[in-house]
Amino acid sequence: MNYDNILARLCAVGAPSGFESPVAEIAAELLRPFLDEVKIDRMGNVVGVRRCGRENAKKLLLDAHLDEIGFLITGHEEGFLRFAPLGGVDPRMLPDRELTILTEPPMLGVVACMPPHIQTSEDMGKSQPIKDLFIDVGLTQEEAEQRIPVGTPAVYRTGCSPLGADLLCGKALDDRACFAILMDAAERLVGEELDVDLYVLGSTQEETHSTGAITAAYGIVPDLCAAVDVTHGDSPDASKDKTFPLGGGPVIGVGPNCTRWLSKRLERKAKELDMDCQIEVMAGHSGTNGWPLQISREGVATAVLSLPLRYMHTPIETAHKADMTNTAKLLAAFVKGIGEEADSRA
Amino acid sequence: MLDQLKELCAINGVSGDEDAVRAFIKEKAESYADSIRTDALGSLIVFKKGKKATGNKLMLCAHMDEVGVIVTKITDEGFLKFDFVGGVDRRVAIGKPVVLGEKQVPGIIGLKAIHLVTRDEMKKVPKTDALYIDIGAKDKEAAEALVELGAYGSFVGAPELLGNGLLKAKAIDDRVGCAVMLELLKEDLPLDVTFAFTAQEEVGTRGAFGAAFSVTPEIALVLETTTAADLPGVEDHRKVCAPGKGPVISYMDGATIYDRSLFEALRDLAEANGIPWQTKEYIAGGNDARTIQRTKAGVRVAAMSAAVRYLHAPASVGSISDFDNMLKLTRLFLAHAAQSL
Repeated sequence: MNYDNILARLCAVGAPSGFESPVAEIAAELLRPFLDEVKIDRMGNVVGVRRCGRENAKKLLLDAHLDEIGFLITGHEEGFLRFAPLGGVDPRMLPDRELTILTEPPMLGVVACMPPHIQTSEDMGKSQPIKDLFIDVGLTQEEAEQRIPVGTPAVYRTGCSPLGADLLCGKALDDRACFAILMDAAERLVGEELDVDLYVLGSTQEETHSTGAITAAYGIVPDLCAAVDVTHGDSPDASKDKTFPLGGGPVIGVGPNCTRWLSKRLERKAKELDMDCQIEVMAGHSGTNGWPLQISREGVATAVLSLPLRYMHTPIETAHKADMTNTAKLLAAFVKGIGEEADSRA
Repeated sequence: MLDQLKELCAINGVSGDEDAVRAFIKEKAESYADSIRTDALGSLIVFKKGKKATGNKLMLCAHMDEVGVIVTKITDEGFLKFDFVGGVDRRVAIGKPVVLGEKQVPGIIGLKAIHLVTRDEMKKVPKTDALYIDIGAKDKEAAEALVELGAYGSFVGAPELLGNGLLKAKAIDDRVGCAVMLELLKEDLPLDVTFAFTAQEEVGTRGAFGAAFSVTPEIALVLETTTAADLPGVEDHRKVCAPGKGPVISYMDGATIYDRSLFEALRDLAEANGIPWQTKEYIAGGNDARTIQRTKAGVRVAAMSAAVRYLHAPASVGSISDFDNMLKLTRLFLAHAAQSL
C-alpha cells in the first residue's frame, strides 16, 4: 500500500462529522477492488463485505472512521464568521489558521487574531477561547450572510504530506490513516482463505457521538469486531506515560472495552510475525468506536487496535508509515483463521 | 503587479538570509537599471536615470526580509529548538509549518493533543522556549544531517485570493513595497531614482543604515505595510487602518515624525487624483524611515503603507486595490518630486 498517495487523496477532502459524503465516495472506490461488495448506507457509512462462502460463518467487522474534526459557522459579525468546533479542538491551534469553508465552491478563510498593539503582554500569554474567535473571509456582512449561511461546515486547509523520510503529516489522519490500514489489510488478504465473513466499515460521525458505527453495527450484526483508531504518539511536551513512540509498532488495547482473548490473539500474532507492538491499558472508555460497538445488540467481542499519532486533532497530525504497514500486517494475521478460534470458544 | 507580488511572497527570506529574494529582484531589475550593487549588509541598491538629472536626491525604499525562525539547538530526540527572528506573536506560530535551511526541509511547530492538556494549560500559551520544531527525524544525528544550527526557517503558505479583492500570503510585509518598486523600475521616470531594497528591517531596520548612508538622499519615500486591526469588537480608535481604504500615509508612528510637507504632498496628490487614502489612527510601529531620517545631516522622509491584517503571521491579508493605489500614488509622487527637486 502506498500510504503517501492514498492518504494524500483521502486527507485532501474536507469531510467533518456529519458531512462525510465526499470522502465516503473516494473511500468506497478505493476499497472496492479488495472486497465482494461495497456500498454506502443510510447514515453515510462505507460498508464493504467479503464473504468466506461457509455456511453460518461468523461475521468480523473492522472499523475505522472517515469523519474528521472541523467547525460549523454559527453567525456573522461585520462580515467575519462566528464558529463552533465539531469535535475536540484546542483553541491554541487557531490564531491565524487557514480554513476551507465548505461552500460550493469551497472558500478560503483565516482565523483572525488580534495584533499585539491592542493587547497587553498578559493577554498574549493567554489563549482565546473559540467563542471569542472569528474567521476572516474578506467579505462584507451582506455578502457573508448570503454566501456562507449559518450551519456551513469548515475544516483545516491542509492535506497530508511527508515529514522527513518516515512520517506523514496533515489533517484527518485521525482516522483516515486507519481506513488506509484497513484497505491494506484487505488487500493482503486477497486470495487468502477466510473462515469468517469480513466486513470493512468506514464509519461516520465518530468525533461527535459514534453515530455511524452504532447504526452500521445494528445492520451488519457482527460477532466480532476490531475498532482501528489512533492513539497518542510521543512528543517533547507530552508525558511519556500517556503516549506511545512513533515507529514503536501497533498499539494493542487492554481493558474492559477489549475482549481479552482478542487482545491476546493480537499479541500472539505480533509475536508470530516477530513484530514490535505496544500495549495500551484503558481502564474504561477507549475513546474509539470500540466502546459502542461492544454493546451493539446483545454484545460483540471487541478488539481495539491503535496507530500512534502525534498532535491528534490538529492540522499537523503526524504518524509513522512503518506503524501503518505493521498495523495492517498484524490485522491481516488477526483475521486469518479467527473463525476457528471464535468457534472453539463458543 | 499582482502576479509578481505573489511570486515575491512565495520566496523565503528571513532577516539575514535575504539571498533568494535579492537574486529574484536583481534578475528582474537588471535590464532596467543604470547601476546595481549589493552592499555589505545585503541590501540591493538600484539606480535608474530619469528625465531630470537629480542624481541621488530621491530614494525609494522597501525591505526584502520577512519575519521567521532560527534554529538554536537540536535535542537528543531529534527535535529543533528555535527563536523568532523579528517580532512574531508566538500564538500564530503554534501548529504551523515551516521550511528550514538551504535544503528547505519541511518542519512543523508541534503542540501535544488536546486530550493530553489540562484545563489550566489550555488557557496559557506555551513560552517560546517550550516550543519545538518536528522535522520527522528519529534522533539528533538524523536531524543534524538535515538541518544545522543557525538554519533559518520561513513560514509556509501559497499566496491565495481571499473573498472580495483581498490577498492572503506570508511576507506581504514588505514584498508589496518590493513589487511596487520593481513595477516603477520598468517605467520611464520623471527624475533619477535610487531604489533601495533593504535587508534586516525586521530586526531593527539594520539594512537601512548602510543603504541611506551610501545613497545620502534628500528625500526618501518608504513603501511598507502596517498593521490593520479592523476586527469585530475592536474599538474604532484602535483599528489603526483597514485594508481596502487606500494607501496609509503616515504623519507619525512609534519611531518617526514624518516630514509634514511630504505627508501633505502625498495627501493632496491622492485627493486631487481621486485615489482613496487613509492615515494611521493609532501611533505605533516603525520602519526603515526612522533610520533613514537620522542619516548624516538628515533626510526628509515619508511613508506609504498597505494596511495588512495579521502582519508578521503566516497568513497575512491585504487588499489588492490598496497595492495598485500605492503604485499609482508613488508614480504621482515621483512626478511631483521632479518639479521640486
